[in-house]
Amino acid sequence: MKIIGLIITVVTGALLIYAAADFPAWSDPASPASTYLSPHFIEKTMEETSVPNIVTAVLADYRGFDTMFETTVIFSAGVVCFFLLRISRREEEEPETRYYRHVLTGVTIQLKEGYKMPPSADFERIDAVWTPPDLIIKTGCRILIPFVQLFALYVIAHGHHSPGGGFQGGVILGASVILLAISHDLRTAVRRMSEKLIGILCAVGVFIYAGTGALCLLLKQNFLDYSALAGVLHVDPITARSHGILIVEIGVGIAVLATMIWIYNNISSAGRYRQGL
Amino acid sequence: MDIMNIIVCVLLFSGLFFLTGGAVGILRFPDFYSRLHPAGKLDTLGSLLAMTAFALFNLHHFSLGALLTSLKILLIVVFIFLASPTATHGIVDAGVRAGLAPWTKGEKRR
Repeated sequence: MKIIGLIITVVTGALLIYAAADFPAWSDPASPASTYLSPHFIEKTMEETSVPNIVTAVLADYRGFDTMFETTVIFSAGVVCFFLLRISRREEEEPETRYYRHVLTGVTIQLKEGYKMPPSADFERIDAVWTPPDLIIKTGCRILIPFVQLFALYVIAHGHHSPGGGFQGGVILGASVILLAISHDLRTAVRRMSEKLIGILCAVGVFIYAGTGALCLLLKQNFLDYSALAGVLHVDPITARSHGILIVEIGVGIAVLATMIWIYNNISSAGRYRQGL
Repeated sequence: MDIMNIIVCVLLFSGLFFLTGGAVGILRFPDFYSRLHPAGKLDTLGSLLAMTAFALFNLHHFSLGALLTSLKILLIVVFIFLASPTATHGIVDAGVRAGLAPWTKGEKRR
């Protein structure tokens, strides 16, 4: 099996090197990219898509296919992490032991599998490796997280005008939830964003992107040609391309957000979701 | 050379002074906890002063856009002021919990 993998790697690498030899020389002014592609993007982006940030227009409009499959790669990274690491409840040998701590006195009790705790506000569930609650870190993170999330939304929405977009904004959004999981515990973060919700969001993000492309197809244009959305959005075709970019950026943001949290949850709890870092 | 430039220069150079002190402290102090001390305090103060200088310098040609940019820079100051000491506190806490004893006088550097 290892030998087959090695052969595949070597053959793929050799093919890549063989293909790379045909590339134009580095920064060759006569190469196709510099003779008509780049000048076209630099001169025509504003009048064709009404997006001031050329990078965003190239990323989400001119090369929409590329970005769509990048989003799919991120989605599959999350799914693979889930399938490799997640240990379902049934396969476990040792029964789960839960720990509860009396908030006022600090007395900790241990409950074996099968015993239930009567619901009470005096007891809080704690991790097996417990760190005492730290007021400074918890308060600091509670103040920071809303601003982090607000900034993430700004980065997603402002991708047309400044550096940013779905990938960056999604990563910041995911990091804010991961910060919550680190500063409190994994259980708090999972209570806010359950595993099911994360899985659904991960797929919804990719679906928004691909669905926008399919909608363009239904409206008698090419796949991912957002000017087809002009009739739906009640704007002219050029503004529709700008709005279409925003829609797919939101899809990318949702997919990246969910994947970040999914991967963190699975790795930090070794697939058991009992306790994180 | 108006009064604004002088203020900006003073703020910028005091910020640089504190940042340099922080860098020297991180290199020279004897152990983990004392090295985190300049990292948490001097870097925060240094970047705070330098950022305030940038915000003031940006207001040189006063307009609404410049004011907005200055406000954004001041927001960075606020968030560094909140996040950097909190992070340092968390790292020190983790060190204590991991059982690292603080350095005392007479011991070897580590």
